[in-house]
Amino acid sequence: MKIIIAALACLLFAKVSFAQKDLLSFDEHNKYIYYQVVDEPGLPADSLHSRTVYFLKSAYPKSKLKQTATAISGENRFVVYGGVSILKHEKGEIACQVNVEFKDQKYRVWLTGFTFTPYQRDRYGNFVPEQGIDIPLETATSKLDKKDVDSYLDEAGAFCKQLGDRLKIYITKASVLKKEETTKKVVTDKW
Amino acid sequence: MKKRLLLLSLFAASICTLGAHAASMPADTGKAAAAAPAPAPAPDPPLVFSGSVDTYFKYDFSGHNNIPTSFANEQNSISIGMIDLGLKKTVGKASFVGELSFGPRGQQQSIPNADPGLATVGGATGTAYSSYHIQNLYVSYNVTDKFNLSGGYMSTFIGYEVISPAANFNYSTSYLFTNGPFQNAGFKATYAFSDKVSLMAGIFNDYWNVYQSAARVNTFGAQLTVTPVKNWTAYLNLITGPASGTELDLTTAYQITDAFKLGLNAATFSAPTGTTGGFSGVALYPQLAVSKSVTLGLRGEYFDTKAGDFLTAGPPPGEHVTALTFTANIKAGPLTLIPEIRFDNSSKSDMFTDSNSAPTSSASQFVLAAVYAF
Repeated sequence: MKIIIAALACLLFAKVSFAQKDLLSFDEHNKYIYYQVVDEPGLPADSLHSRTVYFLKSAYPKSKLKQTATAISGENRFVVYGGVSILKHEKGEIACQVNVEFKDQKYRVWLTGFTFTPYQRDRYGNFVPEQGIDIPLETATSKLDKKDVDSYLDEAGAFCKQLGDRLKIYITKASVLKKEETTKKVVTDKW
Repeated sequence: MKKRLLLLSLFAASICTLGAHAASMPADTGKAAAAAPAPAPAPDPPLVFSGSVDTYFKYDFSGHNNIPTSFANEQNSISIGMIDLGLKKTVGKASFVGELSFGPRGQQQSIPNADPGLATVGGATGTAYSSYHIQNLYVSYNVTDKFNLSGGYMSTFIGYEVISPAANFNYSTSYLFTNGPFQNAGFKATYAFSDKVSLMAGIFNDYWNVYQSAARVNTFGAQLTVTPVKNWTAYLNLITGPASGTELDLTTAYQITDAFKLGLNAATFSAPTGTTGGFSGVALYPQLAVSKSVTLGLRGEYFDTKAGDFLTAGPPPGEHVTALTFTANIKAGPLTLIPEIRFDNSSKSDMFTDSNSAPTSSASQFVLAAVYAF
C-alpha cells in the first residue's frame, strides 16, 4: 500500500513538474503561445485597460509598452536559471511579446515570440547576455541541448502563468476599494 | 416554516453581501486602479555561485618553452590552470562580487604577491609569497537605472582577453593581454546615456595589478561604450597615470551572423614617467560556429615594441612579432575542450630559440586544454 501511495505521489509530482511546459501551446504560425481569456463581470473595457497598464508598469517596470484604445502590447524579458542547488545561476534570458486585448467584462492575454539569449560570464564576475545570439525557442534544440531547452520551456511556461495569474488577481483586487485603516487612540488628558 | 425563514435569511444575507461588494466597486473608468496597492516587481535574484576549473597539456616544438605570453607555459606537461570560485549577491540596488582563484594561472602567474617581504623557510631566506588569490572583490550600487557606482579590486576594463579561461576563446593569450593590466583597484562611476552609449570614469591605484597603492590613487581610467548597430559593441578605453604609464585601447566585437563573430583589439602604450618606449599592437579574432558544439577561431596578432628602455614580455625595444593561433572550442555541456596550435614569428632572430637552443625567428606550440565552467 505504501509503495502504491509513494508511486502515486511520484506520478503526481512528475505531472506537476511537467505542467509548466505544458502551459505553452503552438499557434497557427507554429510558434509557442500562452493564451488566456478571462471574464471580469462588471468591469468595462477601459477599466481593464488602465488597470493592466498600471499592473504591467509596476510589476514589470522594464517592459516597453505600446497602447491603443483596446489593446496593449510590449516586449518583456525574464531571466532563466540553470544548475542545481547553490550552483544555480543565470543561464540566459527569454524575450517575449506580451499582448492584452480588452472588451467590456473580459480580456484576453497572450504571450508569444519567445527568443532565448544565452548568458556568459563577463570579466567582472557578472552573467551578461551573449551579444547577437537570439534563438527562437521553437528551433532551439538545433543549437542548444534538448535538456536545457526543456528547462527553458518550463521556466517560460511558469513565467507566463505567473504573469496571467498576477494580472487576474490584480484586476480583481483593484475592484475593491482600499479600506481606510483606523488606528485606535486613547486620549489621556480627559478622564 | 423555520427552514423557509432560514433560507430566506440566507438569501437576504447573500443579496446584502453582493450589494455590499457592488457598493465597494469603484465607479471608475480604470483610474481607481491607481489607488490599489502596486504589484511588487520581481524579487531579488538568489546568491549566485559560479566558477571554472581548467587543465592543459602544452608542447612547444622546440622542446622547451619559447613563447613568452601569459599562461599555458609549462612545457611537455599535463598542468593545471586554476580553480576559480565566484560569489555574487544583489539585494535591491546593491550588489557584491567576490572571486577567488587557486592554481598557477590564478596565483603566481597573474596575481600580485600580497606580502613581498623576505621570509626565512628551513634556514633559507627569500622572497615571501603570500597571495590573497583575488580576481574580483568589489561592491556596486545602482544609484538609478542608468547610473552605477563600483569600488574595490576589479578585473581591468582594458583589452579583449581576460585571466579566466572560461571567458576567453583562445587558451593561450596575446601579447597585448600579457603586457596590459590584469586588474585595477579603484572606484568608478558608469552612466548610460542611452541603450547605445555609456561612459565610465574612475580613479585607480597608482600601479596596475596591486591590492594596495604604493603611495597614491592617481591613475585615471575611462571607458566609452558605443553600440553603433545591433550586435556590435565597441569600447574605447584609456588608462593613464604617472607610475603606470598610458594605454589607449580599442576593444570591439561584432556578431555579424548567428555563426560568425569578429573581434578586434588595438592598443598603444607609452611607458610611465622616467622611462621611454612602450608598445603598440593589433589583434583580430574571427570565429565561426560550424555546429552547435564546435566553433573554430583564429587569432592574428601584430605586436610592436617602441624604441626606448621599457621592456615588455615580448620582443626587445624596436622590434615586432606576429602570432597566428588556430583554436577550436568543442563543447560538451559545461565542459569545453580547446585544441590549439600557434605560430609566432619575430622580426629579428634573437627572440626565440630552436631545438638546439640557437636563436631563431619563429616558435610554434600545441596546446590541448579542458575548461569546465559552472
